[in-house]
Amino acid sequence: MLELIWLIPLLPFVGFLLNALLVGRIGDAHTQERSAGYVAVAAVAAAFVLALVAFVQLGNLPEEERLVNVNLWTWINAGDLVVPFGLMFDPLTGVMTLLVTGVGTLIHIYSIGYMHGDSRVVRYFAYLNLFITMMLFLVMANNMLLLFLGWEGVGLCSFLLIGYWFERKSASSAAVKAFVVNRIGDAAILLAMMTIFLQFGTLNFFDMILDGAEVIGFVENAGAVAQQIVSVPGQDFRIGTIISFLLLIGVTGKSAQIPLFVWLPDAMAGPTPVSALIHAATMVTAGVYLIARTHPIFTDTTLGLVTWIGALTALVAATAAVAQWDIKRVLAYSTVSQLGYMVAAAGMGIYVAAIFHLLTHGIFKALLFLGSGSVIHGTHDTQDMRKMGGLRTAMPYTFVTYLIGAAALAGVFPLAGFWSKDEIVGHALTHTIPIFIILFLSSLLTAFYMGRQLALVFWGEQRDHSYHAHESGAVMWVPLVILAALTVVAGGLNLPGSHWLTDWLFPVMEEEAAEFKIVLGVVATLAAIGAGFGGWYLYAVRWAKRIKVDAKDPLYRGMGDIWDTMAEAWFFDTVYNKTIVPGYRSVAGFFAQVFDPEGIDGLVNGVGRAFGWASNGVRFFQNGYVRSYALAFFLGVVVIVGYLIVAL
Amino acid sequence: MTGFPILSLVLWLPALGGVLLLLLPRDNVGLHRTVALAFALLAFGLSLVLPLQFDPNATGAQFFEQAPWIPAWGISYSIGLDGISLWLVVLTTFLTPIALLSTWGSITSQVRYFQVLMLLLETAMMGVFVALDTFLFYLFWEFTLIPMAFMIGIWGSGNRLYAARKFFLYTFAGSVLMLLGIIGLSFLHRDAVGAEIPTFNLLTIVDDIRNGAFVLDTAMERILFGLFFAAFAIKVPLWPFHTWLPDAHVQAPTAGSVILAGVLLKLGTYGLIRFNLTLFPDASAWAAPAIGILAVIGIIYGAWIAFAQTDMKKLVAYSSVSHMGFVVLGIFALNEVGISGAVLQMINHGLSTGALFLAVGYLYERRHTREMAQFGGLWKNMPVYGSLTLVMVLSSVGLPGLNGFIGEYAIMQGAFTSPVLGWGFVAWAVIGVILAATYLLRMFRETFMGELDRPENEQLSDLTPTEVGMMVALLIPIVAIGIVPSVFFAPMQSSVAEVVQTLSAIVAGSQ
Repeated sequence: MLELIWLIPLLPFVGFLLNALLVGRIGDAHTQERSAGYVAVAAVAAAFVLALVAFVQLGNLPEEERLVNVNLWTWINAGDLVVPFGLMFDPLTGVMTLLVTGVGTLIHIYSIGYMHGDSRVVRYFAYLNLFITMMLFLVMANNMLLLFLGWEGVGLCSFLLIGYWFERKSASSAAVKAFVVNRIGDAAILLAMMTIFLQFGTLNFFDMILDGAEVIGFVENAGAVAQQIVSVPGQDFRIGTIISFLLLIGVTGKSAQIPLFVWLPDAMAGPTPVSALIHAATMVTAGVYLIARTHPIFTDTTLGLVTWIGALTALVAATAAVAQWDIKRVLAYSTVSQLGYMVAAAGMGIYVAAIFHLLTHGIFKALLFLGSGSVIHGTHDTQDMRKMGGLRTAMPYTFVTYLIGAAALAGVFPLAGFWSKDEIVGHALTHTIPIFIILFLSSLLTAFYMGRQLALVFWGEQRDHSYHAHESGAVMWVPLVILAALTVVAGGLNLPGSHWLTDWLFPVMEEEAAEFKIVLGVVATLAAIGAGFGGWYLYAVRWAKRIKVDAKDPLYRGMGDIWDTMAEAWFFDTVYNKTIVPGYRSVAGFFAQVFDPEGIDGLVNGVGRAFGWASNGVRFFQNGYVRSYALAFFLGVVVIVGYLIVAL
Repeated sequence: MTGFPILSLVLWLPALGGVLLLLLPRDNVGLHRTVALAFALLAFGLSLVLPLQFDPNATGAQFFEQAPWIPAWGISYSIGLDGISLWLVVLTTFLTPIALLSTWGSITSQVRYFQVLMLLLETAMMGVFVALDTFLFYLFWEFTLIPMAFMIGIWGSGNRLYAARKFFLYTFAGSVLMLLGIIGLSFLHRDAVGAEIPTFNLLTIVDDIRNGAFVLDTAMERILFGLFFAAFAIKVPLWPFHTWLPDAHVQAPTAGSVILAGVLLKLGTYGLIRFNLTLFPDASAWAAPAIGILAVIGIIYGAWIAFAQTDMKKLVAYSSVSHMGFVVLGIFALNEVGISGAVLQMINHGLSTGALFLAVGYLYERRHTREMAQFGGLWKNMPVYGSLTLVMVLSSVGLPGLNGFIGEYAIMQGAFTSPVLGWGFVAWAVIGVILAATYLLRMFRETFMGELDRPENEQLSDLTPTEVGMMVALLIPIVAIGIVPSVFFAPMQSSVAEVVQTLSAIVAGSQ
C-alpha cells in the first residue's frame, strides 16, 4: 500500500480536472453546483481515507524503517542536475497529510453550504481541489524542487481563491499582492535550492537509489557540510547559515512573518472557507513544515534569528488583532501571531512543539474561521463587528463552537491550544527570558482580543438591524461541531506523560519530550481566563453602550496614535506602499518613457543618422526603399570581403 | 542516417508550398489559406519523425545530408540535426501552422502573399537550425529577414514602415559583421591547415579546432568571436541591442509577432551556442562574465520596463528581453546544466510568448486596441479566454509544473554552479523572477479582473473553437515540458556535453 501513496495527491487532482473541464458543461446550474461539490468532497475524503491507511501502515513498520520513497519518474535530467518526481511518507509527512486532507474534507463539506448559489461555484471547487493537490505535493515531496512545486502551487491557488470574486477591486489587488509578496520569499528559496545543490550535489532530502546508484540526501548529510565555512566577499559564513537564512526569507513570505506578513490580512478578501483552509490551517503553516523538514541544516546563528522573527511577529500581530473591527481581520492577525509562535518554537529547536501547535492551530483556527464564515453567512455578508452583537441566541451552534475555538486559541485548560502553546511558552522560559516575556505578553493579548471579539459578536444587542440573523444549515454547522470536538481532544496528541506526538516524530526530529511545568500551566490558564474575561467584560458590559456603527473603539480615547499603530500592524504595509512600491513604479516609468526611447534607442538612431549624414553625397541611395539600403550594405560587404580575400 | 532525405523534405516542403501557392488562381483566398496550412501541417507531421528517430546517445549530426554545391569555394549543401537544433526545428514547424491559422481572421489583404512569405520564412528559419555549412547558414540567416520585414511593413499597423526599416537595418548591420566573420574564419582555416581552397563546412572546422589542427591566436579569436556575437546579440536581443524589438512587435501583425518572438529570436541564441561557444571556446570563457552582466541587466531591465507598459503587446515584447536574458545567461554558464536549460528555455519562450501574443491578438481583433486601461473584468464574459491566458501568463512567470520554471531553474542552477559566472549573477537574475510576477499579473489583473465596466467590452464574445484549439495546442507542450521535462532534456544531453567538453577544460585550466 505504501507504494501507492501517489494516489493521495492524484485523487484531488482528478477532482480538479473533473470540475475544471467536465462538470461545468453538464446540466443546469443547480446540477452543476451539486455535482461540483460532491466531486470535490469525494476526492478529498477519499484522499483522507488513503492517507489514514498509509498512516496506519507506516505505524506498523519498525521505527527505523518509517520512511518510504516512491520515485514516479525522472523529472529533470540536465547534466548533473538530476531530480526525481518523487514522493515520500514518513511520520512528519503523515501527520501533515492527515491535517491537510482531514481539515480539508470538513472545509469542502462546509463550502457546499457556504458557496450555495454562487455563480462560479464549479470553479471554486476546482480551485479547492487543486489546492489540496498542491499542498499534498508540498508535504509529500521527497526533494526540494518538488516541494517548491507544491509551494508555488499553493501560492497560485491562494491567488486564484483570494481573487475568486475578481470583480471586486480589493479581491483582485489582494490576490496579486499575495502572489508577488510570496514571490519575494520564493526567490530566496530558489537561491537556497541552488546553494544546496552546489554544496550537496542533490536536492533530495533523504537517501535513495537513483538509476541504480545510491544518492545521499542533503538533510541526512547536513551535519557534515552545514558547519563548513565558505567565504562570501566581506565575511565568512557557515554553509548551513547561508542556506537556512535563505530558507527563512522564504518562510517569512509563505508563513506571513515579519517583514513579509503584509499580504495575509488582505487575503481575507477571499471566501471565508478559503481563509480557513489556506490562510489559517494549511498553506501558511508550510513555512513551519519546511523548517521542520530541513532542520538539520539550520545553524544556531539562523535559529536565533528565526526565534526573534517568530516572537516579534507573534507580538506585532497580536496587537494588531486587538485593534480590528472586521471579524476576519481579527482572525487573520491572530493567525499571523500564532504562526509566530510556531516559528519561534522552531527557532528554539523544539520542532515537535512547533508541529504540535501547527496541528492544534490548524484545527481550532479552521473552526474559528468557519465560525466567522457562519456569522458572515447568517448576517448577510456583514463583516464589521460593530454591526453585529447579540448573535448567541440567533446562532446557537455557531456560538458554542466559536466559544470553544476562542478558548482554545486563548490557551484555556484543557483545550488543544493550551497544551501546544504551553509547550512553546514553557520552553521559552528556559531558553531566553526576553522571548518568554514577548510570547507570554502575546498570549495575554490573544486572550484579550478573543474576549473582545466574542463580546462584540455574540453578546449585547444587535447594533445594525438591516439584516435578520439566522443560524446556518447543518452542512455548515456539522463541520463546526466536528472541529469543536477535535479542538477539545486534540491536546491528547501530546499530553505530558504520554507525549505520543514526540514519540511518533522521533525518527524525524530525534527530540526528547519536554518536561511539563505545572506552575506555568496554572499561571498561563489563569492569565488567559483573566485577560479573556477582561476583554469580554470591557466590550460586553462596561463599554457596551459605546460600541456603535462607525464609532471609534473605546480604547482609542486613551491610546490614540498607539491604537492606530496597532490597527495598521505597526505600519509595515504603509511603509512599503510609500517607499518600495512608488519607487518601483517611478523607475519603471523613467526607463519606459525616457531612458529606453531617448537614451538607448536615441543612441541607436543617432548612429543611424550619422550614417545618413555621411552619405549625404550619395543622397540617391537614401530613397526610403529597404532594397536600396540592402543593396548599399551588400556592396559594402562585397568591398570588404574582396579586400579580405586579397589581403589574407 | 542515410537513405531517405527526411530532413531536406521537412526543410523544403514549406518553401515548395509557397511556390505552389503562386501558381494557384489569384482570387481564391480560402484555397490559399487551406493549401498553406496544409503544407505547414504536413511539415509539422513529418518533423515529428525527427525526435522519434533521433538517437539520444549519439554525438554529432544526425539525419546528415551533404551534397557539393560550389566546390570551387568549398561551399556545400550540408545539413543535419543534433540535440541542440532538434527541438528548435520542431518548434518552428509547430508554431508556423498556428501562426498561419491565426491570420485567417486578421489578414484580409493580399492574403496569398502573406501565406507565401510565411512558408518561405519557415524554410529559412529551419535552414538556419539545420545548416552545417557556414555559407549556407548565412544565406538562410539573411533570408529570414526579408519575409519578416515585409510582414511588418505591409501588414503591420500604425508606424509600420519605420519599424520594418529599423528591424531590417539593425539586424542586417549585425549580420554583415557575421559575414565578415564567416569568411575570415574559412580563410584562416585554409591557411592553418594548408589547404588549396577554403572550406565553409562547419563540421570540418569544428573538428580541426577540437583536434588542434586549427588554432587561432587569442586576438584573432576574440575578434571573430565579436563579429559573430554582434549579429547574434542583436537578434536575441541582448541588452542594450534590444530597441528594435518593441517597435517591431508593436507594429507586426499577430502572426508575425508569434513567429518573431517564437522562433526568430532563437536564431540568435542558437547561433551563440553553435558558433561562439563551439568555435571560440577560449574567447567564450574570456567574455562570459561580461556577457553575463549584460544578460542580467537585460533580465531586470526588460522586466522593469515591461511593468510600465500600458500596451499589452509592448509589455510582452519587453518581457521577451527579460526572458531571453535568461537564455543568454544559461548559455554563458558554459556548463551542461546551464546550456541544457537555455536550449529548453528557447522552446519554452517560443511557446509561452507565442501564446501570449496570440492571446493579445485575439483581443485586438475584437476591440482594435491593446491598451490595458480599455479593459477590465473580461474573465466574466470570456471565461475560457481568461483561464487560458492565465495559464500562459503563469507559464511565462515560471510557475513550477509548467514549462518556464524548468528552463529558468536549470539556467540559474547552471549559472550558480559555473566558475565563470557564479552566485553573484544569479542573485541578481532571481530578481527577474520576482518582477515577472509583477508585470504579468498586473496585465492579467487589469485586463481580466475587476469590474466589467465598459459597455463595449460586455459585447465581446469568448474564444471561437478554432482559437481555443490554437491555445490548447500550445498548452499541451507547455504542460508536458513542465511535468516530464526529462523527455525533452534527454536527446540534447550528448550534444550539449560535446560542446561543454572543450569549454570545461578551458574553464578548469584558467582557474
